[in-house]
Amino acid sequence: MSASTALPVAESRTVRRYAGRLVRKHPRMVWGALLLHVLAAVAALAAPRLIGDLVEAVEHGTTTEHVDRIMLLLAGFVVLQAVLTRFARYVSQVLAEKVLADLREDFVGNALALPLGTVEAAGSGDLLTRTSRDVDQLGWSVRMALPEWTIAVITAVVTFAAALSVGWWVLLPCLLGVPPLVIGLRWYLARAKDGYLRESATYSQINATLTETVHGARTVEALRLGDERVRAIDDDIADSFAAERYTLRLRTVFFPSMEISYLLPTVGTLLLGGWLYLRGDVSLGDVTAATLYVQMLIDPVDRIVSILDELQMGAASLARLLGVADVPDDRTATDRVPDGEELRAQDVRFSYGAGRDVLHGVDLHLGVGERLAMVGPSGAGKSTLGRLLAGIHPPRTGSVTVGGVALTELPLDDLRGHVALVTQEHHVFVGTLRENLALAAKSGATEDDVRAALAAVDALEWADALPEGLETVVGSGGLPLTDAQAQQVALARLVLADPHTLVLDEATSLIDPRAARHLERSLAAVLEGRTVIAIAHRLFSAHDADRVAVVEDGRIAELGSHDELVAAGGSYAALWESWHGRGS
Amino acid sequence: MIHLPLENPGTADSRSPGRFLWWMARGQWRTLAAGAFFGIVWMGAQAVMPAIIGRAIDQGVADRDGSALAWFAGLLLLVGLVQAASGVIRHRFAVTNWLVAAYRTVQLVGRQAVHLGGTLPRKVSGGEVVAIGTTDLSHLGQVMDVSARFAGAVVSFVLVAVILLQTSTTLGLVVLVGVPALMLLVGPLLSPLQARAHRQRELMSHLSNTATDIVTGLRVLRGIGGEQVFHDRYRRESQTTRRAGVQVAKLQSVLDALQVFLPGVFVVLVVWLGARYAVEGTITAGELVAFYGYSAFLMIPLRTATEYANKFIRARVAAARVVRVLALTPDHQDPAVPLPSPPEGSELVDLRSGLRVRPGTLVALVSEQPHETALLADRLGLCAPEVDDDVRLGGVPLSGLTRAEVRRRVVVSDTGSMLFSGRLGDRLDVSGDGRSVDRALRTASAEDILAALPAGLDTVVAERGRSFSGGQRQRLVLARALVAEPEVLVLVEPTSAVDAHTEARVATRLREHRAGRTTVVTTSSPLLLDAADEVVLVRDGRVVATGRHGDLLAAEPEYRRVVTRETDPEPVAAGTSGTTAAGTVEVER
Repeated sequence: MSASTALPVAESRTVRRYAGRLVRKHPRMVWGALLLHVLAAVAALAAPRLIGDLVEAVEHGTTTEHVDRIMLLLAGFVVLQAVLTRFARYVSQVLAEKVLADLREDFVGNALALPLGTVEAAGSGDLLTRTSRDVDQLGWSVRMALPEWTIAVITAVVTFAAALSVGWWVLLPCLLGVPPLVIGLRWYLARAKDGYLRESATYSQINATLTETVHGARTVEALRLGDERVRAIDDDIADSFAAERYTLRLRTVFFPSMEISYLLPTVGTLLLGGWLYLRGDVSLGDVTAATLYVQMLIDPVDRIVSILDELQMGAASLARLLGVADVPDDRTATDRVPDGEELRAQDVRFSYGAGRDVLHGVDLHLGVGERLAMVGPSGAGKSTLGRLLAGIHPPRTGSVTVGGVALTELPLDDLRGHVALVTQEHHVFVGTLRENLALAAKSGATEDDVRAALAAVDALEWADALPEGLETVVGSGGLPLTDAQAQQVALARLVLADPHTLVLDEATSLIDPRAARHLERSLAAVLEGRTVIAIAHRLFSAHDADRVAVVEDGRIAELGSHDELVAAGGSYAALWESWHGRGS
Repeated sequence: MIHLPLENPGTADSRSPGRFLWWMARGQWRTLAAGAFFGIVWMGAQAVMPAIIGRAIDQGVADRDGSALAWFAGLLLLVGLVQAASGVIRHRFAVTNWLVAAYRTVQLVGRQAVHLGGTLPRKVSGGEVVAIGTTDLSHLGQVMDVSARFAGAVVSFVLVAVILLQTSTTLGLVVLVGVPALMLLVGPLLSPLQARAHRQRELMSHLSNTATDIVTGLRVLRGIGGEQVFHDRYRRESQTTRRAGVQVAKLQSVLDALQVFLPGVFVVLVVWLGARYAVEGTITAGELVAFYGYSAFLMIPLRTATEYANKFIRARVAAARVVRVLALTPDHQDPAVPLPSPPEGSELVDLRSGLRVRPGTLVALVSEQPHETALLADRLGLCAPEVDDDVRLGGVPLSGLTRAEVRRRVVVSDTGSMLFSGRLGDRLDVSGDGRSVDRALRTASAEDILAALPAGLDTVVAERGRSFSGGQRQRLVLARALVAEPEVLVLVEPTSAVDAHTEARVATRLREHRAGRTTVVTTSSPLLLDAADEVVLVRDGRVVATGRHGDLLAAEPEYRRVVTRETDPEPVAAGTSGTTAAGTVEVER
């Protein structure tokens, strides 16, 4: 098992720069949306002012005509606000969709450019989380939270300005609300993010346990693990409950502090305004309008506050998505061109991260067209050696060269033309079987090429039997292929990609042994003249190869043809004996 | 707050989605009632706020009465505090209601999965059940959550209507008729909007799947190429999704505007009527301000009612899925009166294939097609979809025993065996005595796996054992089956993903480990076959030959073909020397 390396997370400076770039990319829409929202918010302010005038008028005695005029004006503003809201919302939604599309396309582009070594070492877990959870979170933030928040901020600012326009005295009661707001918010935000992340992690855990129980239902029954599974589910629920209680406690403190910070300014405005009215400093209409404006502030301020943690999480997701672009390239391509196709490893030592070496001075020279089988106990370093021979990692010391040029000096596109690796981990992409095969073909695979490649891996028969033959949609959501078929697809891809050297790491391990030997032989026929390094766990694969390398404890312990090794009487010979039932 | 998870989630009424929801609600009626109560207090407090502000302006400000102003301001503060307090208590009950419903659903489905066992994957797709864990539980939780606010909405609506009716019959009626009418006005827009939003969500999930697909296959794409093709594909789908989002925005923005316009018009209407009454002197200026406040406030219960309707529809869909799973029954129903269990050490016989497994022996099953022996293995342990009377233990048909009894005596470890997540030691120690794990790991030749783990048996296994390679997982699964130490152990292809060095070790150790107990192995590996007391060749579901590995190799050409994989004529360009594996064997023998 390789050490897993976490992908980097972008710094907040990078995130800000990126956000700035996105804004500058669509200047007209950004400014247009902002302007429309400001106008809509201004139109909304007419109501309290006009109601205030109305109250004033009623108090002093007025005519029905005057009331009708004010109300018609109010109706006009309502229509205006509605129309402005329509366009403001529309423009900002369209903008959000554009920005979101840019973001996710950039992310996938960056993921597709990740260095080969990182892809192989990091595993797909971290990247998968970013692809699903962070893209979703960001989608939510950009689509809903960000526009809502922007609107709320604009509305709050405009409303506050309107309240002040009634008189500077309105500022005083508003200040009353600031301490509980600021203290409550700071206390809450410092804890909320971790609390909610933990909470959502517990739901992933519940779901994972439930999924395992469902998919492993047969195993559960066979080994009578029912009680244990029920306990595991209940334990997960207990964890989740604890996390829920924590965030609930946060809200139990936070919500009332917000409510109080909304309540104090309303009460204060009423009292202060009333007092000023009694002193004759302000009119009744002013008091009414000020009280209504201050009440109108509650909704946008509440939205600003409640969306903040959502934005916080969105920013964190964005940082993780952008971080993928920060992975340094692990190859330094030179313009040296390999002279020939000979693969040579000299005194190769290697360790994952800083630690003890897993390979201790391996020398190996492969002739063009040679077929080498690597056998040995698990954990001996076969797969690591395979990766080095495929140019995925550079050796710590020593060299792995093709035609005299180090593999890691070759640009990735060139490397693929020389060496390719197929492991037992396979993947069938969503798409037609033909698309799955042709993705690496050098220059558009013809029908004959594809069929020949399938035939070479004994897969033509089942491929033709698929409902729509090569055009059948396979992969997740399409027709499911068995593990064995998926391995055949992986091998057929390699045949079409046609590099001169192939490293097969247990590439047929999931295929039934009865079929695997036949497959290996027909594949060998197609790959005649190609150099093949096959890491094998079945002895017949070794038997069929030109040379066998026995890898033990990070060294090549035995190297020679099958017959030579059997004659030498070493560990390979012992194994071969027992394979034929003479060992026991 | 009550303690969760529930000790026992109970037996759900799974006759219909509606009954299920009712059953669920009945089970948590106390917290639902408490939530509703505080919801009513909370919204009621909000509802009377405009009235207090109106009175304050009337009797305090307009009448220039300082003490009345102070009194009403104090009342406003008090009601505000009541609102804040009842709001947070209501919220706490709402969360409890959500959690009880959601957790209970998970408990029910988990227990049902355990009860159904091997039947589950045959009757319902895994994805269907998993959807319960991801989305349905939150839909079921939400309907319980929103119920408290819904109760508050209904009561506060009535409260405001009564206040208005007392002030003015016309105004009261305008509000009572107007608010529901507004709800209906928005209605026609909702269904096309939902259709577009649905399409957008579908595209989004499709897009997300494409991204996941790309990332999962990144190793392949970076290894042999095709990045550009996939980036272009993703970009195309991303733009399609974006356009769907724009389509949603077109309607959504109209709806947003209507949510400004309709309440706005309503406010204008109410205030207009109020202002005319005020001019006539029927109502005061303060009451006019209160009317404005009421008509603005009424939009909150209106929104809550709409929300409740939406959540209820979704909860019904979720409940339908849960009910479908909960209503399933296992393929093998326990007999009403089970037959007496045969004594330990009985012979296992299958009348259909003619297989006889002598107690205490290691028997290997071989067939040309691996699924033939796999099916036979399943039948030996009452794991096949079709239940038959042909498999007998000590003469008693397995179908005549209870499922629990069969599982106690016969364990079938199939190729799909799942390694569960959690502490490795716990996941392996299925017998619970903690002693047999080391021995089983040795037998499965899994010591090196353990040695490579810094935390040893304390290592936390990732979901489905994904942190281990296929070969490692297979050995750990084998070790776990050995720990169970059943009277009869049936292993299906236990070493197919293991290298030859290791397989050789497993073969010899397995025999020692199971000495005295019955073990059946399906395999085609010579290393394992050689270790068996008896090898049985199966063709077309029937036993065609029985004997020791060596004897069968010598005497049975068909067996030799199957075991040495020389099934077809040599491909022309195979390029190997003349000596084949089979050839060597024949010469040596």
